[in-house]
Amino acid sequence: MKIMTTLGFSALLLFAISCGQSNSNDNGGALGGNLADRSYVAPGEHDEFYGFISGGFSGQLAVYGLPSGRLFKVIPVYSVDAEKAYGFNEETKPMLNTSFGEIPWDDSHHPDLSQTNGEIDGRWCFINANNTPRIARISLSTFETEEIIELPNSAGNHSSSFVTENTEYIVAGTRFSVPIPQRDMPIDEYKGNFKGAISFIKVDQESGRFDLSFQLKMPGFDYDLAHPGRGPSHGWMFFSTYNTEESNTLMEVNASQNDKDYIAAINWKKAEELIANGDFETVPSEYAHNVWDESTQMATSTIKKEVKMIDASKYPGLVYFLPTPKSPHGCDVDPTGEYIIGSGKLSASMTAHSFTKMIDAIENEKFDGDAYGIPILNYDDVVAGVVKQAGLGPLHTEFDGRGNGYTTFFISSEVVKWKVGTWEVLDRAPTYYSVGHLMIPGGNSQKPYGKYLVALNKITKDRYLPTGPELAQSAQLYDISGDKMELLLDFPTVGEPHYAAGAPADLIKPNQMKLYQLEENNHPYAVKSEKDTKVTRNGNEVHIYMTTIRSHFAPDNIEGIQVGDEVFWHVTNLEQDYDVPHGISMIGAQTSELLIMPGQTETFKWFPKRVGVWPFYCTDFCSALHQEMQGYIRVSPKGSSVPLKWSLDGE
Amino acid sequence: MRKSQLLMFVGSLLLLSLFVFPLWNITLEAPQYPEAIGMDIYINKFVDKNPNDIKNINIMNHYVGMEDIPEQIPEFEIFPSVVIGMAAIGAIFGFIGKKKLFVAWFTVMIILGSIGMYDFYMWEYEYGHNLKETAAIKFTDEDGEPMSYQPPLIGSKMILNFKAISMPRLGAYLMFVGMSMTLAAFVIEKKEDSKET
Amino acid sequence: MRKISNILILSALIVGTWSCSNSGSQSSEGSGDGSVVAESSHPLGQASYSDDVSDANILQIAIGSKDHTTLVAGVQATKIEHVLVNAGPLTVFAPTNDAFGLLPEGTLENLLKEENLPTLANIITNHATPGSFTIEGLKKEASKGRKIYMATGNYVEIVVDGDDVTVGGAKILGTVEASNGIVHVVDKIILPE
Repeated sequence: MKIMTTLGFSALLLFAISCGQSNSNDNGGALGGNLADRSYVAPGEHDEFYGFISGGFSGQLAVYGLPSGRLFKVIPVYSVDAEKAYGFNEETKPMLNTSFGEIPWDDSHHPDLSQTNGEIDGRWCFINANNTPRIARISLSTFETEEIIELPNSAGNHSSSFVTENTEYIVAGTRFSVPIPQRDMPIDEYKGNFKGAISFIKVDQESGRFDLSFQLKMPGFDYDLAHPGRGPSHGWMFFSTYNTEESNTLMEVNASQNDKDYIAAINWKKAEELIANGDFETVPSEYAHNVWDESTQMATSTIKKEVKMIDASKYPGLVYFLPTPKSPHGCDVDPTGEYIIGSGKLSASMTAHSFTKMIDAIENEKFDGDAYGIPILNYDDVVAGVVKQAGLGPLHTEFDGRGNGYTTFFISSEVVKWKVGTWEVLDRAPTYYSVGHLMIPGGNSQKPYGKYLVALNKITKDRYLPTGPELAQSAQLYDISGDKMELLLDFPTVGEPHYAAGAPADLIKPNQMKLYQLEENNHPYAVKSEKDTKVTRNGNEVHIYMTTIRSHFAPDNIEGIQVGDEVFWHVTNLEQDYDVPHGISMIGAQTSELLIMPGQTETFKWFPKRVGVWPFYCTDFCSALHQEMQGYIRVSPKGSSVPLKWSLDGE
Repeated sequence: MRKSQLLMFVGSLLLLSLFVFPLWNITLEAPQYPEAIGMDIYINKFVDKNPNDIKNINIMNHYVGMEDIPEQIPEFEIFPSVVIGMAAIGAIFGFIGKKKLFVAWFTVMIILGSIGMYDFYMWEYEYGHNLKETAAIKFTDEDGEPMSYQPPLIGSKMILNFKAISMPRLGAYLMFVGMSMTLAAFVIEKKEDSKET
Repeated sequence: MRKISNILILSALIVGTWSCSNSGSQSSEGSGDGSVVAESSHPLGQASYSDDVSDANILQIAIGSKDHTTLVAGVQATKIEHVLVNAGPLTVFAPTNDAFGLLPEGTLENLLKEENLPTLANIITNHATPGSFTIEGLKKEASKGRKIYMATGNYVEIVVDGDDVTVGGAKILGTVEASNGIVHVVDKIILPE
């Protein structure tokens, strides 16, 4: 009998393998004749890649499957989310705290993934807030925002959040230069007085916790985008700049005057030495550091008061400027770390700088003047090549790991494939329409997974069923495994798909947390069994310690609440079963629902305003008797003698 | 020590593996549980197949009025002493080395095993039929009688949308192997006897 | 027992085979070559799109002008329509048919040959600059002594003489505002350096 079973199992196993193989052939790009098949993921099957697509002005981060383009989750990061109670419940409110107070929104731009030895490792995703400068860390085990740090002295946190080769730092540059420290001064005295701050945030390799290690004080340019060096250029960070004119008005004209702006090459290993030697000033600065603690399931916000700052003009060897034509936007480093591609957004060509030539130019002091004491390298001595007349309005470049670059052109609305080294254009594909960033999974690393390319478009016009004046923005999936790029799929996105990061599913899937262990829940208001549920009063502050389990609340009858009370509902989900959340909402509560995962405790605040008996219910369709999952709470007039009482089934 | 004595000795001591390995397993498969849930039954405890399985079985079963799977049942106190006792007696019989003792031990084991299976069946029956009056969901079978949720003694059975599978586990298999060894010891002894005569 | 396990395995195999073949048949049913359809329905990219309520964009203005048929023919031959419908903002200096007529005999015919289309594209893009420059804006740039540069990367000089404004030697004859920028009609071709 045992032999039979073994045989049977191996038959099953063989069968599963053969079935899986035929599927992978279907998805196998160049092999498939049918384009629809190649983005089709059958019901119940999983996608090959995760795509983390920025929500842009929605402030969030959306998780998609590739190649199907299916949306799995919108992770709230910088904007409140009533669906998940993010920014509404007492536990997550501190996440949105800043030195300006609580802010319910931001503009999220550039997700980037943690790396080890120059390859993405599936631990964390980072994303910047553009408007009120912040960087967030999202766990790829829980898909929750775990940490947000504000960046002082920065304004328009655009050239962020880019990860160095071993996730030593998250690097974040300012788009707007401002007075440092901030002060009351005339705007037209910008030139020479405003400065740009570039922040280096250290990442603890175990916990992922941030520490704003130091900032560089740079000349008052606009720092647009950045990428880290890798391989031989590890230890350097490259930033594109515009407005080297240092203009402060009608920028569309005045910041476009110089034929060349710069790519700033920053030697951050040198900066580390300076910090170690004490060559920095401590600048009073106010910024919030918000951390989610998985153990207590609560966020805390701490306001910090100072930052170490290095004046880039004072220390030779720290920063060099590489002249780059026409207000470079994208600043992208190829997988070998040798070439730094500057895309002059007002030009028709891209400039590739050579890291080897840059080091040689530095060693032999091939300088062409300086800007605020920072040497400007001679253009001809650092340029490796130019991709000529490739299109109009080049923005961003990613690489496929097979020696090809792919650049988006906003004005001519296309993706152009070109060869690294020979700089010849190999192929072009239209986008629908006006593409901004593009993404190849692992694109910002030494090891891109060059099977798919996602173009992130700003305009859709007639691409989907119309929805009034406001239309969906869009991503487009191309198969790049062959010589020619092939458009496989359009899919609409959440907010503006500003930039994205992608990773093979196999890097992330095995690390998934399925539920919170109830015994490890150290939330101060957690209760771990129904017999411990209670209601307490201290003056007009009432705490309800409640539990949920299929399909009831405990307690579900509460009396003795009074108008004018401040009532905290601490609700613990006692379930320990994968994918069994419960929700709760209270009539008239001026907040969102709670959506509580198994083993988790969340809290909402309710100010009872009217006398009566009011219901509450479970908002997540949890079970067959979900509709019975409800309760009543009695609200008596202020000062009433109705005693505090709570029960479930009369007990 | 003769070969048959060794077989008797080792075979009876194999019973002790029941303290290490589960005796039986009940698994529930359903579409909403891509990783099936279940419990291992030891001679002294019920254990989750995956963390929280028993809790989740109880949550599901409470809708149809079933009682929770208890943490403690009287068998958990009786079975271990019986197993230890039988293992010790078997080992001693091995030393003594008389074939009548071998077959006597084997027979007692068969009887005890059958009682155990009957007891297990009765527990399953009770578990599957003892439904609370206040059950939220009440199903009836084809004859209009209240539906029973009794898992099979061995093999598999569909209960609503769940496929319940009940199978022996390593502990039970080792016990069977041990018992076979004692039977073999008896057979060898008997053959030796017939040769001598 | 043996029977049960055999049946189990068999049924699992059957279910598996069925689901596998089923997924195959589903996907072949949904065959329709998405990419080919997408591209053929929009051969000009965004230029394929039009509606009747939006203000006219630069391309639509040029197409609607009887004085710019040569320019439009050049734009279409070089397939750069989508540039002129892009969100912009762009300022286009649109040479009239007469302006093209000023070119030496045979030049235009020569440029329209397949192998010379990149050159023609370069010449045409030398008439577009990023940003919105009204006549007033151009005058202001001139007064500050600034040049403007074209999408090809060439810088051109603005000369103001009374009410006349010339850009790279081409005189502005009239101005039309477009939804995505500004069109200045000019009397000469502005040749790239």
